[in-house]
Amino acid sequence: MHIISAKDLSMTYRVPVRGEGLRASLRALVRPEFRRVEAVRQISFEIGEGEVVGFIGPNGAGKTTTLKILSGILHPTGGQAAVLGHTPGQREGDFLRQIAMIRGSRPISAPIEITVLDALRFQQAIYRVPEDRFRMNLAELEELLNLGPLLDRQIRALSLGERMRAGLAWSLLYRPRVLFLDEPTLGLDVVAVTMMRRFVADYAAATGATIMLTSHYMADVEQLCPRIILIDQGKLAYDGSLSGLAQRLTPYKLVKVSTDIDYRGDWERLGEVVSCEAGRTVLRVPREDVREIVARLLADKGVSDLGVEEPPLELVISQAYQEGVGV
Amino acid sequence: MRYNLQVLAQYVRQSFLEWNAGRSFTFTLVVQAVVPPLIGLAVWTRALPGQDLITLYYAVLLFARLLTVSYEHHTFSSRIYSGNLIDDLLRPHPVILAPLGVNLAVRLWHVAMGLPLILVVGMLIPVRPELGSLLLASPALLLAAALQFLFTYGLALTAFWTEKAFGVVGIGQTLIFLLGGEAFPAWLAPSALKPAMNLLPFRYMLGFPAEIAAGQVTGSALLVGYGVQLAWVGLMGLAVAAIWRSGVRRYTAVGG
Repeated sequence: MHIISAKDLSMTYRVPVRGEGLRASLRALVRPEFRRVEAVRQISFEIGEGEVVGFIGPNGAGKTTTLKILSGILHPTGGQAAVLGHTPGQREGDFLRQIAMIRGSRPISAPIEITVLDALRFQQAIYRVPEDRFRMNLAELEELLNLGPLLDRQIRALSLGERMRAGLAWSLLYRPRVLFLDEPTLGLDVVAVTMMRRFVADYAAATGATIMLTSHYMADVEQLCPRIILIDQGKLAYDGSLSGLAQRLTPYKLVKVSTDIDYRGDWERLGEVVSCEAGRTVLRVPREDVREIVARLLADKGVSDLGVEEPPLELVISQAYQEGVGV
Repeated sequence: MRYNLQVLAQYVRQSFLEWNAGRSFTFTLVVQAVVPPLIGLAVWTRALPGQDLITLYYAVLLFARLLTVSYEHHTFSSRIYSGNLIDDLLRPHPVILAPLGVNLAVRLWHVAMGLPLILVVGMLIPVRPELGSLLLASPALLLAAALQFLFTYGLALTAFWTEKAFGVVGIGQTLIFLLGGEAFPAWLAPSALKPAMNLLPFRYMLGFPAEIAAGQVTGSALLVGYGVQLAWVGLMGLAVAAIWRSGVRRYTAVGG
């Protein structure tokens, strides 16, 4: 069953433009000019129940716009969107009670003067969470997010990482079935990022929630999302697994070889040398040749360690952004 | 309806706690709110010595002022400007409940902080208000509070189109000051201005309940006044709904 579906989804903005100087400014008063900006161009995809999907693309690709459309904040100018069987733009109560959107730039939207517990009680009332469910969910969130020390503190006094923990509890207290995470690790330190990723994975596994995640940190996507949707300039560029994207974009693998003795072989004949120093060499080898090259290296008695790796994800994505996926 | 009232109560509670944390700021707002009625009291008791009703009028007006304050051009417009309106749009209840809750909490703080001043002015009143007049004025006071919220909220919604909502609301507040009974009571207004004051909404946002309490509006004039006030509440409610629909349509079309 599809929980989220987008069919030919489009979003076009009309932005005012004008030339420089006073004359252009005065002319714009009586004859304003506009330019059409196509933020999202006829993208289509479907996401099933329980899927965790990374929604990636360069700045201005249309990621946040799409998330806003799917959460009902924006009305698309073309195509259709459906989430949980609802049209998001209608913002029906039953729909809004089942979704949550967490923005890394503002993880918790409660007033900063109140305590975390007061904020959670507020959510309980707004989302009609029964007292026993509230206590149960809170206990669970307390454990997963180490929330206990934060409950009696004012939100304003929390660090960014603590705000994210409180924000996760605030957004997930009512157990939303669909979660939109917009740059959830933005600005977090390494400890908070690790906690965040582990928590999202645990939440998805425990509740079967459907999650769409945008992030510029590829490690977020790599660790959480078996599937990615890549958009660029508002258009869908790729929809599939990360490894599939890597295969499509980078027709090679990295072979890392450590040698005990000075290897006298000709590295250049085995592959493109990426680095070679202190008995450790990294080769770039075409995917179809990897098996043969590895066999040849293993047959050599001087090889003490050998590993085969995909190219770094950052590199793959960077290449996708710069050169396109080439569908 | 019950759910909406519960949500509203939550917003009042939350905002009350929030404004409690900023008590000193709230106090400065209370001071700003009480100064115009006190100036009116000082000027008119000096200009018309011996008219005890003026003192009674301004004492009730002082209370009305505190009970009708509206700062949606600060509290709500800023949510539109900052993009935080997104948070409100994602909640499963009518968006107006949030600014209304804030409004009620702010008014509670204003009345609580202004109470000592009201008591002092009350002790200085040379005449006792009649209980009947006060009871007759009570519904008008609540309607004035509703009307002023709708008026300010409606003007604050111009933030969907302009960065200058503060200025738009400022013009509205100036009109309330001039034509609402704060600068001068309606019965002392120039005769050319009286019909306009009776017809326009500003008097019904502030001065009307004070006039009733002071015994200046009785009989058929009272009924007509209530009729006009109710009509303005209805019209303002419709106008606010229309502005909201149009504004949120624009917001959801361009993303803020």
